[in-house]
Order: sequence, then structure tokens, then C-alpha cells
Amino acid sequence: MSAEQFQLSFSPLTGVAFGPDRTQVAVSPNNNEAQIYKRSGDSWNLETTLAEHDKLITAISWAPQTNQIVTCSQDRNAYVWTLTDGIWKPMLVLLRINRAATCVKWSPKEDKFAVGSGARTIAICSFDEENNWWVSKHIKKPLRSTVLSLDWHPNNVLLAAGAADAKAYVFSAFIKGVDAKPEPTVWGDRLPFGTICGEFSSPSGGWIHDVAFSPSGDVLAYVSHDSTISIVYPSAPGEPPAAHISVRCPSLPYLALSFVSESSLIAAGHDCQPVVYSGSSDGWTLSQSLDDPNNASKLTPSSTGNRVSSGGVGRLNNEAFAHFRSADTKGQSKSSTASNVAGLTPVGADGLLKTVHQNSITWVEPYEWGQGGEVTKVSTAGKDGKLVVWPISGAGKAGGLAGKMSGLSM
Amino acid sequence: MSTAFRKINIDAFDEDVLLPSDLYDPDPRGVDGVTAESKQKAQEARNLVSKGDTAGALNAILSNPPYGEGVDDAKATTTSALLTILNSTRSADIAGVLKGLGEEQQGHLMAYLYKGMEGLGQGSDQSGSVLLTWHEKLVEVAGIGAIVRVMTDRRLL
Amino acid sequence: MSNTLRPYLNAVRSTLTAALTLQNFSSQVVERHNKPEVECSTSPEVLLKPLVVSRNESERVLIEPSINSIRLSIAIKQADEIEKILCHKFTRFMMMRAEGFVILRRKPIPGYDISFLITNFHSESMLKHKLVDFIIQFMEDVDKEISEMKLSLNARARIVAESYLSTFV
Repeated sequence: MSAEQFQLSFSPLTGVAFGPDRTQVAVSPNNNEAQIYKRSGDSWNLETTLAEHDKLITAISWAPQTNQIVTCSQDRNAYVWTLTDGIWKPMLVLLRINRAATCVKWSPKEDKFAVGSGARTIAICSFDEENNWWVSKHIKKPLRSTVLSLDWHPNNVLLAAGAADAKAYVFSAFIKGVDAKPEPTVWGDRLPFGTICGEFSSPSGGWIHDVAFSPSGDVLAYVSHDSTISIVYPSAPGEPPAAHISVRCPSLPYLALSFVSESSLIAAGHDCQPVVYSGSSDGWTLSQSLDDPNNASKLTPSSTGNRVSSGGVGRLNNEAFAHFRSADTKGQSKSSTASNVAGLTPVGADGLLKTVHQNSITWVEPYEWGQGGEVTKVSTAGKDGKLVVWPISGAGKAGGLAGKMSGLSM
Repeated sequence: MSTAFRKINIDAFDEDVLLPSDLYDPDPRGVDGVTAESKQKAQEARNLVSKGDTAGALNAILSNPPYGEGVDDAKATTTSALLTILNSTRSADIAGVLKGLGEEQQGHLMAYLYKGMEGLGQGSDQSGSVLLTWHEKLVEVAGIGAIVRVMTDRRLL
Repeated sequence: MSNTLRPYLNAVRSTLTAALTLQNFSSQVVERHNKPEVECSTSPEVLLKPLVVSRNESERVLIEPSINSIRLSIAIKQADEIEKILCHKFTRFMMMRAEGFVILRRKPIPGYDISFLITNFHSESMLKHKLVDFIIQFMEDVDKEISEMKLSLNARARIVAESYLSTFV
């Protein structure tokens, strides 16, 4: 079984969210519109366009049970779209932020959503029945820089956030009147709005690109720009964590990660291939890559663009001609040094990367679950405009039906 | 009417601004501790080099290097000791020595390589080709992730 | 010393690949604006440590990364007066046509001869490994161009001098 690829646009997909039953997907092709595609057989066709924002849409989230879409953009606004009579109608959200919104996620129960922004705040929005709009409460206190990513805990109250000041936080987003009092967890109990339940930094000071809770919520993982994945196992509120593991990766930084089970996660980023990490509180290691370019094709893998070293002084044209001629006739680009540098994605003779994705992967989510509740397929989207669905074999089992249901929310 | 308010730099009064020094945790050993430790380590490293044990010397000098503000002497001592070690290792031995270093030490070595390249030519007689050879071998072992870590690490080595 | 050319270009290639990890980042300072952070330098947390890759005193590459843009400055080897003049004219020719080049900066950073500014928009619309290939090829070819220009200049000067002075013989 190989990966299914769909080229949805030729520009980066800045926001991706699947519909409730995987027949629809909402994407934003690097502009101020969100497009909904419907699946027909092996390809996706454009169904509707949601145009309300003025500037680039940075994130989309689709709530599977209430069938609402929330989009947020660099114009400091967010809209909630509901399907009435077959048309998607936008509803205003009073975010009250004065900088761009960077990320948005529905909570697991879909009664509120969180928006991270460049105004150093997170806005937690809930629906106000009286006035028929969404109102927000702000978390400001420890945030010193733009919030780059968010993830909800399965209990609908705790929220993890990763920021550009190299710190990952876990907050409580408990809103009186909307939430029922949650069960105590390893992160804490008695949690008024805005309490910091945890603050972690990246090992070498890189911006936190993505945070994720494990399906049970007891483990937090984040990827940062210093090419590390960090996994935190908290022990009790106010105590240092039971384990705080940092895995240094030899590849370029990861931009997105997602748990597929309690003991394995998928990370993807600038080296254009999704990889699976597995482990436990004793340690995590790389287990496999879902798209290993060295196995993929018969061409001799060569380091990116290593060229024929030129003989004497020559005009530019001779140099270029010689290189392309050799690539054309011999079918491979010669590498002047024999070494294959760890972490560089090999390039084929036609100049395209040997991995499926041609540019960085920005989004990864579980796509399909099997009979026993384990994740069988994972989808990724990237800056090359491709949406790819990968099969995983035996990467891990989610914790039963409960794990599957909580994993469904985006 | 006083127009002096137009000349005020309003951003200087912003309390919530993020300073570069906030971006990393300061060295827990304190300025004097750092200077003393680095002198001692540089001495140890030189001894090991003269005995021919370059791997051990590298290990010693690359654990807990001095960083941050106010420890310029310590940094200079460590850098010059490290450069001596690099110059005196035979090119055939480089790969083996690198494999023997821990991950964190490989990261520090990458940072020092870049620091060495920055200082090339301004009065130092360091050879560029030595640094470039080490750089190439280190990237083969530690990957590009090591270079990214040097860029993101705010602690001024 | 061409035996250091390959390692030098490989070092620049790997450092540049590591730095070209850019993403769209809206300005934190001005609302609804998107600026290259390496040029604005208003928020220290989004700027990364500048790195220098050098082969010897006169040939250096400075890479200043940030979250959505990188600035790459090259110092070209200029061994004598003629090469200095040729290099200056050559880089000025290119910098005056910076729009056509897309990634070229109109003014070099002080201390260097030519500078490039690559933003996340460039890395989204162009393949990153191709951008790196272009920069490396540029570095190789600039040296060749300048030596070739110097040779042809000297040849022409010799012909002119010969034909002029031969009238006095």
C-alpha cells in the first residue's frame, strides 16, 4: 500500500481540516479564502469557497460533531461557519486581539475553541446565546511572544501552547458556565481560568512549532526549531515531571507532530518526510521513516545538487550545459564527494526531491482508525500544496474506543 | 508648549519587552567559578594533547563550556585551547574522535567551529582548511540538526 | 588553495540548508504587516545567531537567519587592485538590477561585497534545494568571472600597449 497524493494547489496549504467523515476537506491555499473540497473517487473537487477574511488564513479547524468550521487569519479576525440550507454562513467572533491570529483549535467537546495570536495572548472563545456571537476570554500572563501552536487536553479544560520564546505552557481554560468541573489529572485539580499547570522550555532555545497531548492526555510532546522532540511525563501538580526526555534529531527541524498512540508519534517538517518515533517514559527513539527516499528509487542517491567540479575557467553556459547533459544522458547527477550528509534530502536527476513532498510538511493528523482502535492512516499537508495520506503498519495502538473518539477532534 | 514628548523613545518604557538576555538561563556557576574552571580545563586539555590523547582532550574541553556575559577571558582560554587540539589532530583520526564524543559535546564543537571561522584572519594564524575539514566530518556524524542547534542556541559561547 | 574549495562550498551548503527553514510570520510589532524579521530586528526572540563560514581571511560568507527570512552576505576574494575594481563593478551591475534577481539585496552588508535576502515567500514559491544550488553556483562562478575578466583585461592592455609603443621603435 503506498501513499495517496493529492495536489490541491500549487501554493502552500496554510490551513487544513478534514470534515467529519473524510469526504470533505477545508483548505486554504495561501490566500484569504478557504476552499472546501469534496472527494469523488480518487480526486478532490472544489465544492465551495468561504471568502470573508481580508488577509492570509493561518489555520482552519472543523468540529466533527457540530459540523462547524472556524477559520482565523492574519487580519486579526476569526469566523465560525455553520452549514444552514446547504450554504456556509459566517458568524463573527469577538477576538479582541490586535495582532494576527496564528492557530485555532476546537476543544474536544466543541463548545469552545482557542485562538493563538501574535498579540502574545490566547483567546478562548465560547458562544454567547443572548447576542448570538462568540465571545472570548484572554490568557496573557506568562506569554512573552507570538503563540505558534495549540492543542487541547481530552478533558476539554487544559490547553497546551507553544510560543516563539522557546517555551511550551499548559494552561487551564476552564470557563465557568460552559464547563463542568473536570476530574483531577496529573496536571492538577482546582483550576481557575488561566492557571499555568506547566512550563517547559526547549533544550537549545528554538521556537516551539507544535505541541500535542497524547490520546490519554497524560503525556505532552513538543517539537522545536532546534531539531529536537521533547516529551514530558508529568507526575503531580507542582512537582517536577516524572520524565522530561529530549531527543536530538540529526535532521532539519520538525514543524508538526501528532500522537498515534501512547507510545508512538509522527513528526514531520523541513526534511519533507514524516517519521515515526516510539518510546516510553524511559526514552524515545526514531523507529522508522514513512517515506525513506533512499529506498524509494533505483537512482544512486546523491547529496543535494553536488555538481561536477569544473575543469578550467569557462563561461557560465558550458558549466550548466555539461551538468544537465550528464544528468540527461547518464540519468544521474554525479556527486563529487562520496559522502551522503546526514539529514540532507536526496535529489533525483530531474531536480525534484526524492520524497513525496517537495517542500516542508506543515500539518500532520491521524486519518483513519482500524478495528482495534489503532491508527492505520495518517495524513500530511505541506508547503508544496500536496495532501498525502500514508498507511502506517503496526505503529501503535490507541487506547481503545475512548482514545479513538478523543483523537477525532482536530 | 513643550514638544519634548516627541523625542521620547516610547519603546524604552515598555516593561513587557523581551530582552535578549531573557532568552537563556544564565550560567549557574557564576563568573569566577567559570573562569577558574575553564583555566583548569584548558590546562588539562593541553596535557592530554601532549600525551597524544586528543579524544580525551576534546571530551574535557567540551563539557560545560563557559557562556553568557562577563566571562570573556574564560571564553578566550577555552577557544584557544580547543583550536590547539583541532590543529594537532591528524585528519585520519578525526572521524574516530568525533564518534567518541557525546551528542551535547558534538553540538558545542560545532559552535566552536563557527566561532573559530569568525575569528579567522583578525590577528590569528588559524588555518581555515582545518576548521572546514572538521566541519565536514562533524556534519556527517551529527547531521544538519547540529548546525540548526548552533543557530538557535542563544548562549554566546 | 583550491583544495579547500570543496569543503568550503559544502560547509556553506549545509549551513544554508539549515538556515532556510522559514515560515510565514506576521509582525508582532505592527498589526496586519508581514516584514522580513532579519531586516527589522525589533524582536530578539525571532532572530537566530549569525554564523560565518570562512575559507581564509578574504573569503567569508555571513548567514543571518531568522524565523521568516535570511540574509546571506558574501565577501569575494580580491587579491589586488584590479580585482577590487572588477569585483566592485560586477557586483554593482547586479545590485542595480536587483528586482530581476528577486533574492538580491540592493546594498551589501558593511564588510561584504554582495548580499542576498531570502524570505519565506521565496522559499514557498521556489524549491529550497534549488535556491541553495543557485547560491553555491553563484559563488563558484563569481570567482571565475572575475579571473576571466582580469585575464581579458590584461590581454587587451598588452595588445594596446604593444601597438602603441611599437610606433616608437
